[in-house]
Amino acid sequence: MADTNRKPRLDRLGSLLVAPFLLGRQALSLEWVHTQDSPPEPQAKAPARLTVTPPEHAIKRRG
Amino acid sequence: MQAEAAIPAGAIPDGLIEPALTIGRVTPGSLDDQVLSFPETRPPKQWYLALAITLTAALIGVGCIGYTFYLGIGAWGNTSPVFWAFDIINFVFWVGIGHAGTLISAILFLFRKRWRNAIARFAEAMTIFAVICAVIFPLIHVGRPWLAYWLFPYPNQRALWTNFRSPLLWDVFAVNTYFSVSAMFWYLGLIPDIASMRDRTTSKFRKVIYTVLAMGWRGAATHWQHYEKAYLLLAGLATGLVLSVHSVVSFDFATSVVPGWHMTIFPPYFVAGAIFAGFSMVVIVLVVVRETMQLKNLITMRHLDVMNKVILALSCIMGYSYMMEGFTAWYSMNEYLHHSFMNIISGTYGWAGWLTISCNILIPQILWFKKARSSYFWMIFVAIGVTIGMWFERFVIIVISLHQDYLPSAWRIYKPTMVDFGVLLGTFGIFFTLVLLFARVLPVIATTEVKAILPDAQPSHHGDDHHA
Amino acid sequence: MKTQLPEQGPLEIPRFWRTLEERIETPEAQRAAQDEFLPGAVPAYDDVHGLPPQDGFSRRDFFGLVGAAAALAATVACDRKGQGTIVPYTKRPVEVVPGVANFYASSYQEGRRVYPVLVKTREGRPIHIMGNDEHPGVKGKTSPRAMADVLRLYDPDRLRAPLSEGRTLGWTEAESQLRSALVNAKGAGRPVLLLSGALVSPTRKALLADLKKALPTLEHLAIEPASGDAAEVAAQASYGQAVTLQPRLAKADLILSLGADFLNGEDPEALAAWGAKRRLKSAQESLNRLWVFEGPMTLTGTNADVRVPVAPSRLGAVAFALAKDLASKGLGLPANVDLSSVSAGVPAELKDSAKLWSNLVQDLRRAGRKAVVLCGTQMPAEVQQAAHLLNAMLGSEAVTIQAAEPLASVKDLEAASKAMAEGRYATVIFWDVNPAYTYPKAAAWKAAVAKVPFRVWIGQVPDETGAQCQLLLPENHWLESWGDFTTPGADVLQQPTIGTLYDTRQGEDVLLEAVKVLGGQAATSYHAYLQERWQRSLPAANSFEQALHDGVVKTVSKEVLPAFKGASVAAAAKRAAASKAEGLELVLFPGFATFDGRHANNSWLQETPDPITKMTWDNPVSVSVQDAQALGIQEGDLVQVSLDGTTLTLPAVIQPGQAKGVLALALGYGRTTGGVAKGIGANAFPLTGLDPASANVRQGVRLAKTGGKKELSRTQSHHRMEGRDIVRSLTPSEYAEHPQGHHHAPEPASLYDEQLFPGHKWGMVIDLAACTGCSACVVACQSENNVAVVGPEQVARGREMHWIRIDRYYEGELENPKVVHQPMLCQHCDSAPCENVCPVNATNHSPDGLNQMAYNRCVGTRYCANNCPYKVRRFNFLEYTAYKTEPGILVNNPEVTVRPRGVMEKCSFCVQRINDVKIRAKGEGRAILDGEITTACMAGCPADAIVFGDLNNPKSKVFQQVANRRAYRVLEELGVKPAITYLADLKNPAIEGGHHAS
Repeated sequence: MADTNRKPRLDRLGSLLVAPFLLGRQALSLEWVHTQDSPPEPQAKAPARLTVTPPEHAIKRRG
Repeated sequence: MQAEAAIPAGAIPDGLIEPALTIGRVTPGSLDDQVLSFPETRPPKQWYLALAITLTAALIGVGCIGYTFYLGIGAWGNTSPVFWAFDIINFVFWVGIGHAGTLISAILFLFRKRWRNAIARFAEAMTIFAVICAVIFPLIHVGRPWLAYWLFPYPNQRALWTNFRSPLLWDVFAVNTYFSVSAMFWYLGLIPDIASMRDRTTSKFRKVIYTVLAMGWRGAATHWQHYEKAYLLLAGLATGLVLSVHSVVSFDFATSVVPGWHMTIFPPYFVAGAIFAGFSMVVIVLVVVRETMQLKNLITMRHLDVMNKVILALSCIMGYSYMMEGFTAWYSMNEYLHHSFMNIISGTYGWAGWLTISCNILIPQILWFKKARSSYFWMIFVAIGVTIGMWFERFVIIVISLHQDYLPSAWRIYKPTMVDFGVLLGTFGIFFTLVLLFARVLPVIATTEVKAILPDAQPSHHGDDHHA
Repeated sequence: MKTQLPEQGPLEIPRFWRTLEERIETPEAQRAAQDEFLPGAVPAYDDVHGLPPQDGFSRRDFFGLVGAAAALAATVACDRKGQGTIVPYTKRPVEVVPGVANFYASSYQEGRRVYPVLVKTREGRPIHIMGNDEHPGVKGKTSPRAMADVLRLYDPDRLRAPLSEGRTLGWTEAESQLRSALVNAKGAGRPVLLLSGALVSPTRKALLADLKKALPTLEHLAIEPASGDAAEVAAQASYGQAVTLQPRLAKADLILSLGADFLNGEDPEALAAWGAKRRLKSAQESLNRLWVFEGPMTLTGTNADVRVPVAPSRLGAVAFALAKDLASKGLGLPANVDLSSVSAGVPAELKDSAKLWSNLVQDLRRAGRKAVVLCGTQMPAEVQQAAHLLNAMLGSEAVTIQAAEPLASVKDLEAASKAMAEGRYATVIFWDVNPAYTYPKAAAWKAAVAKVPFRVWIGQVPDETGAQCQLLLPENHWLESWGDFTTPGADVLQQPTIGTLYDTRQGEDVLLEAVKVLGGQAATSYHAYLQERWQRSLPAANSFEQALHDGVVKTVSKEVLPAFKGASVAAAAKRAAASKAEGLELVLFPGFATFDGRHANNSWLQETPDPITKMTWDNPVSVSVQDAQALGIQEGDLVQVSLDGTTLTLPAVIQPGQAKGVLALALGYGRTTGGVAKGIGANAFPLTGLDPASANVRQGVRLAKTGGKKELSRTQSHHRMEGRDIVRSLTPSEYAEHPQGHHHAPEPASLYDEQLFPGHKWGMVIDLAACTGCSACVVACQSENNVAVVGPEQVARGREMHWIRIDRYYEGELENPKVVHQPMLCQHCDSAPCENVCPVNATNHSPDGLNQMAYNRCVGTRYCANNCPYKVRRFNFLEYTAYKTEPGILVNNPEVTVRPRGVMEKCSFCVQRINDVKIRAKGEGRAILDGEITTACMAGCPADAIVFGDLNNPKSKVFQQVANRRAYRVLEELGVKPAITYLADLKNPAIEGGHHAS
């Protein structure tokens, strides 16, 4: 179960390692390889956050 | 009294004459040529092959550790109630291996056991490497290794402090102290030899390195004076550590409430076991070194014979300890302890218990025979047996005790995973990689110390050192 | 020293020069003088156009960019995936106060049983379910499955919008599809079949009547595959109508169970009464006695005072023999009862224990009206009829018989299936039922359903039945719905506790809409429909709002007890006598976790260990010890169970106490849909029979080893106590004579000063005599404390995370052992071994006696867990909880930290509840009342076996119970000073000296 959930940690590690390099490269506009690929397609959006609404007409006991 | 009277005054009985510690004529010059030339020559093909194997093993271990970091401790077989398993077994095992070096270099030094001089360097180096392998485990076995530094009591703005009642914290200090003192001791002993190598080498590169490492050693009389004093002091310090480190490691178990762990015999028993395992590892490595590096004249069969005798003696101490464990279990009338001991000989892991007993107690008894003590086959057989046996002894202590403790409802069988084996393999890889590298870049024999025991070393009008 | 400034006139500026050129004022030098830096020191950076300098980078630029890059990189790396934003309400709903829990009364139906509940919501989200304390029967208790059903609200597999042939539609289009189908059917005069669950709701019944009026061709079948068809058959025979039997155990001194599992947690009322009868304060009080005759081992059987393993096929004969024996001893038989086919004397099953038999007869005679005979609804009809007869003979006060709406049996379904295959129906509507899974001949059923032109499915999670339907209508969860139910003693209301999460409607609203389009007249919504009905029928003093507030409308029962029909007995007795135990017989019972499969997608329930086998995530077949020996079956062996051409391959477990020749298998597993349920266990419904009189007890089963093995995901693998003093069990005479149980532990000496607890000292008492092992506490704790689910593989490795577990031990001979249950949770030891070994002080003791865990401080050395003698600490070996997304996270209790990987956790005595009460009491300037703080397990325990309170308060219940002579502490001899005291279990054997029949 858990191993399928691991991805974000890997992402984080990756970004930590690669981000200074990428950012530095861009900032200095010293790109060694020019990639003309179109930007990757945006992933299917996760459903927006659910709206939690209180019940209508219900009578609460306490709280 | 009569027997003594029969011996002429001034003569030493044959039995008391220490046999020569070297074979053939060894002069300081030839010794230097023999020992210090290794770093200057290209290693043979076999060395590269061996290094390739050990490095592969080490990389597998590193990979498995990385996988553990990525996934969590769940990558291992550890579970409830066996919350500790290979991680702590390996830790105790490697700390134990390290003990032989310190014993040989420190305690035997203080007891003026001259035969130790030829093997002290190697044994010490093995101590350092074994402790390096050991300290991996406390770091990687915690659930959140990125927070492992919290085990150190450092001042912090959160005003959090460590728990000094916890044996694990004692471990942190014990192992750290042990490592730093051993490393210092080792390095101190290396300085005169490194200086010799600095003076010998023709390579510029090596010259720079050895110059830095030699720390300005010129062999002046004051240097020697300070050196000897420092060496003696460190030997004294390390002597205490030989006893303390593994005692503290044993406190992890002895101070707990787990039946099978809560035993007063543990500290001495752990120390004896550690030296036992360490000596066996030293024998294995020495035999290889002696053969492959043509050091038969310096590391003689007598050295191995003495080592084997120590192993035999320790094996008997281990046997006594095991018996005392059983006796304690019986005499305490404690049903939990009794059950825990019965598990060692008849439980699910009974095979591990019997393997431990066979390897540590039964097999080494062959060393009562001089033939066995002077046979490569038998001494290697015993030494490998003891290494396996001592690993399984920790398995017995940790896994068997934990897997069935107080409430039977919580009992569970433990099964290691491939990652567990990978990490274990990895530590062997790291250990032997370091041993191989050491053998090629630093003097494997303390030439200065061996020079001190050469026949010519002591001033004598007879031309030998019997009357010195 | 003061500088003398000129009084007036321009300030004389001294002229300095830097270079000779400047002094002689060349144009270049003049320009340079304006620059801050000398030429060459700084490139001419074109700020306006942002162009880089022509001659490469300067050092300054380089450092600037590197610094910025590093800062940005650090910022990027610090990003936390999945972290949400906290946004305050722009318009706060009136009912919701952030940080304050709201409680709503509602109710939940499962089969014929209705659970009045109280739902705790936080920030509008239902997070915890407990029983409704206003209800006279359940008194604030409910079942584990009802508690866990809050998770189903947030099931990610729920259908979120209407679906037609795989296409998502709006409700308008979906309704027009349904309308045209129904209108056409009505026009053509063709029948429409509606299948739903049991009808327990008066308003739903009225709605169906309205629908029937608007659509005269409507045919309705109420199916409950797990309720036991045999019970219906027996009720029809004995009373001429469908009935529900509610045991009133408070009135029973003697209970005889014929395979009835009334203590399995399903019936909180029975458990409460049982607990009250068993929680003896002193040895002077009298104890009731439970006799159990059963084939498989049930939770009730484990709690028996005398348990006799009898194959279900022979239970009827035994029961009728008992009736005959009782009659011969002078107990009057009801009119028209003919027991001539029953042979007199001790039945063959008990030939070896004639003494026991005479004791039973004597017991029943003595108890008379205070005795009750209960029969499992899965048992063959004749056994149930025998129970009806025995109760009638005894005139038992301890059972109420109420008329109920009849259920459709497998026979009716078979008929419906045939009719469908013949093309009789124009439309079929499946409403919250799954016959494609539960019907024994699923393939034939599906083929028949496929013949119906228009198939509509109303439900929450698309299932096997939905897969066959053209129109799938997403239904509200009951926590989003309106409704009402009849329960014995009171009517209960169901109200939503949250607005619908998705574009769903409740089934009643769909049918109401159908009534309208078919020309009937009805209210605008089911809420209005319900309200209108209730406002008409409520007594004047009682408003609908009040009824919703209470959730309960107490009714004066003017029930006419259905009379027992003696004439039915002769046939049943004959059938019972003819029923032979030949070969292996299989008992199919509703799964503890899954019921009839409707809960199979609930991971909390899947991971709750079965109270008997301690299995999770699977339904192994239980084999008796004798049969396992004969067939050479080991635990975990894969076996084939075959019957009538159906073969299931599943793992076997060996069940001590199970009658020889009996196999037991849980229903509700082996689903083929649902993210959690899919592929878990094997579907046993194909093994149920088409004879309603004995649908769940099947004979002629073949069992064969396949040679394979399966790792059992079991939470307990060792089942004996090894003679250790862990669970104490006393008979009444032992209780009176040896108050200290088996041993008396001396007060352990300590080198250290005792910790003082100047204020409160929280403690707990668990009465093992009342605890039945029903595991309601486990589910309550899971829901309260955000306990993670780990899945079958991790459970098989022993890494389940439950903070409270029920230890179950067998004692004595394997064929019929004595069984004890012991809830085991953190003992909050005063001298806790876990605390002193933690190197970072992550676990420590609070001044009010709690052993607390600081998750943030824990580095995960696991030393504490090794040193815990009770092994109640749980370690997050993997990331079990993090990165869950909505809707799953909505069920989390916001007051309890969700634990990440690498952290140790354990029972906290519900510290959040303690502090909640503490804060409230402090705010109101008063002391904390005894019983005001309830831990989740205590609140969830239907038998009231768990009591929590302040041990420093001599008036507290917990203080008084500690003084009970049954009190002891587990592993007290270790000197850890646990804060939990157990009261020894009590067994009341019929023969002194022996707990069980031999």
